[in-house]
Amino acid sequence: MSVLSPVQPSNQSGNQPDQPDPTSETSQEIPVSRPATPPATKRRSGSTGRFGFLRPAYWLPLAVLLVALGMLWSVTANDSPYLLPPLAAVGEALAANPLFYLTNAWATLAVALVGLAIGFVGSFILAVLVSELPVARRAIMPIAVVLSVTPLVAIAPALVVAFGFGPEPKLIVTALICFFPILINVSTGLRSVSPAVLQVFTTLHASRLEMLWHVRIPSALPYLFTALRVVFPLSIIGAVVAELSAPGAAEGLGTVISVASSNNRLAVVYAAIFCLAIMGSLLLLIITAIEDRVLHWHESRVAAKS
Amino acid sequence: MTLTSPSVTTADSISIRGAVKIYGSGASQHVALQNVDVDIKRGQFVSIIGPSGCGKSTLLRLIAGLEDADEGIAEVFGVTAEQACAAKMIGLVPQAPALLPWKDVLGNVSMPAKINRRADKLRRRIHGHLERPAPDMIDLLHKAGLADAVHKLPAQLSGGMQQRAAIVRAFGVQPDVLLMDEPFSALDEFTRESIQEQLLDIWDENKTTVVFVTHSVSEAVRLSDKVLVMSARPGRITASVDITLPRPRSQAMLKSAEFHHFEDVIRDHLQTAWQENPMTGSTPIAAGAAS
Repeated sequence: MSVLSPVQPSNQSGNQPDQPDPTSETSQEIPVSRPATPPATKRRSGSTGRFGFLRPAYWLPLAVLLVALGMLWSVTANDSPYLLPPLAAVGEALAANPLFYLTNAWATLAVALVGLAIGFVGSFILAVLVSELPVARRAIMPIAVVLSVTPLVAIAPALVVAFGFGPEPKLIVTALICFFPILINVSTGLRSVSPAVLQVFTTLHASRLEMLWHVRIPSALPYLFTALRVVFPLSIIGAVVAELSAPGAAEGLGTVISVASSNNRLAVVYAAIFCLAIMGSLLLLIITAIEDRVLHWHESRVAAKS
Repeated sequence: MTLTSPSVTTADSISIRGAVKIYGSGASQHVALQNVDVDIKRGQFVSIIGPSGCGKSTLLRLIAGLEDADEGIAEVFGVTAEQACAAKMIGLVPQAPALLPWKDVLGNVSMPAKINRRADKLRRRIHGHLERPAPDMIDLLHKAGLADAVHKLPAQLSGGMQQRAAIVRAFGVQPDVLLMDEPFSALDEFTRESIQEQLLDIWDENKTTVVFVTHSVSEAVRLSDKVLVMSARPGRITASVDITLPRPRSQAMLKSAEFHHFEDVIRDHLQTAWQENPMTGSTPIAAGAAS
């Protein structure tokens, strides 16, 4: 009884050599031609998929826009050098002392990532708590929503006053910035399990821990990654703003920007900003790659594959 | 009316006595079940049929321990529904397949075995429970026509195949009773009939007790030993029809005269229930419904 079960590999019967039935000749043609077409389309779709960016239609619009923006920049920089430094000067600043930018970028990145890690662990635990205990949810979630729309970077100067020029204010700001988006998304995700799934596992008498581990946390993963894609760039913003509030204290691109702008060295400021942009993009790339891996089962991805 | 009298049933059946379930209160009160008595013997395949809102799903949820009756008792083979769940005696197939999208089919159907491991010990202590060895899930998947889908993700399967996987998952715990809540209502006629046949094949081997909620008359006749006809407002059982057709019931039997006879009997019962109490908007509900 498998008439309606999934597509049988129909070419198997067609490829069997011992089929004297003359009618099988016509039926043989179909299975033979059938496997020939899918690989062809697959190869074509593969070329648009993996190496599609090599085709001019793909990269030309972006290249044209970049050249136009570069020319606009150069014209502006020529007219008013106090508005923008010449691109060549920015390039020179980067090339003259790449190690300087690398060490400072690393300092900022370290703050951002450690702050993010602290915020992640804290918010994830709280999200589990909030999703499991209605009382905690009613108490905490309104505050979380308000705080998530508050520009928390604004407390950086206050934290510098409180904690001095050490790493603490930077870590606190970064952790706080990352905290609420993760908390709100993950607690939503943990409760996004469909009633039917809950009923099935309830009749199996699954414990809360089993439910959490086998059902709720995996269900929350897509929500977590949505939060992470927002929060990774945010963590860099948090670190830089905290550094700007406590300049001269330590390394970091925020400090570099703050010091250079007070010395009127615009080229260095923009070189540092360029480094920050690259850093943010790389982080986004990494988190997207991890997401593709972890969420390979997600409907959107499964549909894209087939 | 509180039932404190000892249960008069033998332990080897699912029995519901005087079950009352009321949702809401005041003007919006809705009597989902009114004094419902049900007796389902071990190994029987029983369908519950009726119009929407007649409380058939509520009745199923009572047996599944997902809801408590306001009055009356629900016993599953001598224990309460909750105890039955704790011992993993109940397999549920909901209307939606409810598979975990991050697990492949094999992972999904093996999931119940990983959960609530203490259940096996509890089960042994329950009187009348038939111990059966854990089934070979791959073998069961083959029988359900899912041989090619063992390592596929739910999102890669059609609705019918997802529902087959959900059925295999429910059979996998070797439940004492399998509860199915309109499991095929979202499927097309073709797929539905093919799955019905597979369900009967697997059921023939396991002889699990099945309670099957449906709104399709032919589905009920084809699958069941007994069909309970329910009527709405208030939800109650109006008829019980024994289907004496021989088994196995092939697809050809769907066209036979006996089959049509049983379909007609059930349709008549449904119609009578409908005429007695047509669901035309808001009929006021007697306040003392739960007498």
